[in-house]
Amino acid sequence: MAMMELRNINKYYGEGISRVHVLKDVNFTAEAGVMNLIIGPSGSGKSTFLTIAGGLQTPTEGEVLIDGVDIRQMSPKKKDKLRLEKIGFILQSYSLLPYLNVAEQFKLVDKIKKTGNLSADQLDQLMQELKIKQLLKQYPGELSGGQNQRVAIARALYTNPQIVLADEPTAALDSDLVKVVGKLFQDLAKKENKAVIVVTHDLRLCDFADNIYELTDGKLTLKDDISQAIV
Amino acid sequence: MFLALKEMKHEKLHYGLIVAMIVLISYLMFFLMGMMLGLQNENDAAVKEWGTETVFLNKNSNDSLGQSLITKDQLPSTDRDHTALVGQTPAVIKSKGASKESIQFIGLDDKQFISREKIKLTSGHRARNSHEVVVDEGLKKYGYQLGDKVTLNSGKTKYKIVGFVNDAKYSVASIVYGDLPTWRELRGLNSQAVASGVFSDKDLNKKDYPKLQHYTAEQFINKLPGYSAQNNTFAFMIGFLMVISLIVIAVFLYILTMQKISHYAVMRAQGIPARHLVLATITQSIMLMVGGVLGGLVLTLVTKLAIPMSVPVVMNWPLVVLMAAGLIILGMVGALLPVRMIVKIDPVKALN
Repeated sequence: MAMMELRNINKYYGEGISRVHVLKDVNFTAEAGVMNLIIGPSGSGKSTFLTIAGGLQTPTEGEVLIDGVDIRQMSPKKKDKLRLEKIGFILQSYSLLPYLNVAEQFKLVDKIKKTGNLSADQLDQLMQELKIKQLLKQYPGELSGGQNQRVAIARALYTNPQIVLADEPTAALDSDLVKVVGKLFQDLAKKENKAVIVVTHDLRLCDFADNIYELTDGKLTLKDDISQAIV
Repeated sequence: MFLALKEMKHEKLHYGLIVAMIVLISYLMFFLMGMMLGLQNENDAAVKEWGTETVFLNKNSNDSLGQSLITKDQLPSTDRDHTALVGQTPAVIKSKGASKESIQFIGLDDKQFISREKIKLTSGHRARNSHEVVVDEGLKKYGYQLGDKVTLNSGKTKYKIVGFVNDAKYSVASIVYGDLPTWRELRGLNSQAVASGVFSDKDLNKKDYPKLQHYTAEQFINKLPGYSAQNNTFAFMIGFLMVISLIVIAVFLYILTMQKISHYAVMRAQGIPARHLVLATITQSIMLMVGGVLGGLVLTLVTKLAIPMSVPVVMNWPLVVLMAAGLIILGMVGALLPVRMIVKIDPVKALN
């Protein structure tokens, strides 16, 4: 079942002579139970793709459907609700608040989204998988880059989203932890039937993906052979 | 509330400095207000104590009780109820064992309402003859006591202090209450002069004393020498401090919000409604202002206890509460600038 569909997406920035065509006729479908990897060099439009998919900005042309509903016409409030309830954003910049310790990052989510979040046991298990259970009392400033990133992943998954959108989630992780995160995303897709979309430079995640796309110069293509990808 | 509290707890120095600034501003405001009221009290305590509603002075007195002289022919033939003749003159009081002090002598008729009803003694008894006076409690600190024999100006007549009374102040001096013949003697007037002014605790009409100038109590008090200028000066200082506090809180919150904009953008990207962040900011500004105002109040109270009696400070608690509420509301107004920033945050920036 298609949880997210991007149809004929074009995105331009700027006007007149400085107009840039960032996404060119992009078509993409994210099915439940499938992990999608989108790879591409810097400036290829990966972040723009992700922000359009997550309803943070609207395409110049084309449709964005989530659960069959075109989100372009949604009010900002409805888009907030959609992101909070259905989409788990894992952002390139660490998305943790510096004045909340790890446990409080989850408590903040509970204050805003009161139902449908992971249970205490599920969160405990997730934190064990990500090897961050011992960090509950630590503040982001006291954590390493890799620990911050894993807490941010746990924070995004805590809302139990149907769709996981991740922007460079393994940038600060060593190979062992890349495997842990890759396996986690794979399990989210396979065992929990979520649609997982990961935008990355990191080819180490290819082993865990069902579909690998390449985004180059604004054009998205499905790759059969990863060795052809230019990253 | 959760976000606001957690952030303040974590960033103690940042927020401590803001609160310290508000403490100092509110302290200065409360203290200035206390001094303004204290000085007002030094000027008009007696007039208010008499329950004055209406005052009549000589038409050529230039609005000054001290310059006014009312003669018999200017008064109606019959006395009115709830009116009292008041003779006022500045004088110097002297006594053995006490320092020489400038006072305001107020001569009253003991059958009229001020003498009968409004002089509330704290000790002693009312004057029974021309050689007895009742004086302000404030004179005690200069060594004056019950039973002391005092002289006024360079006169030889001795007057015995037979009573003390609270809040007997006029024109920033303690009052010595005596009778009208003594007042005449001090001013060197003959019996044609009956008083400096006519005071009433009723709202009288101009026509009641057609040969005299009519004043409401407020008009009379505002015409006291230096009274309006002094009050306006204090009011301007307090007003400017209020504006400064508004700017301080707005600037501090603006800078803090600027520093947090990337965090807010991330939260907005994750679907946290702007309303939640706006509420956190407003809650923070309220907590900062409440903390600062309470600190200012404590400092004001401590100062009031510590300063010498000669500095007149009067705390009017309903007014303090009103001013504190005004400061808190100003804090909320100051938060509107960062709130506008939060509402306009573009979450796309979180990903860049």
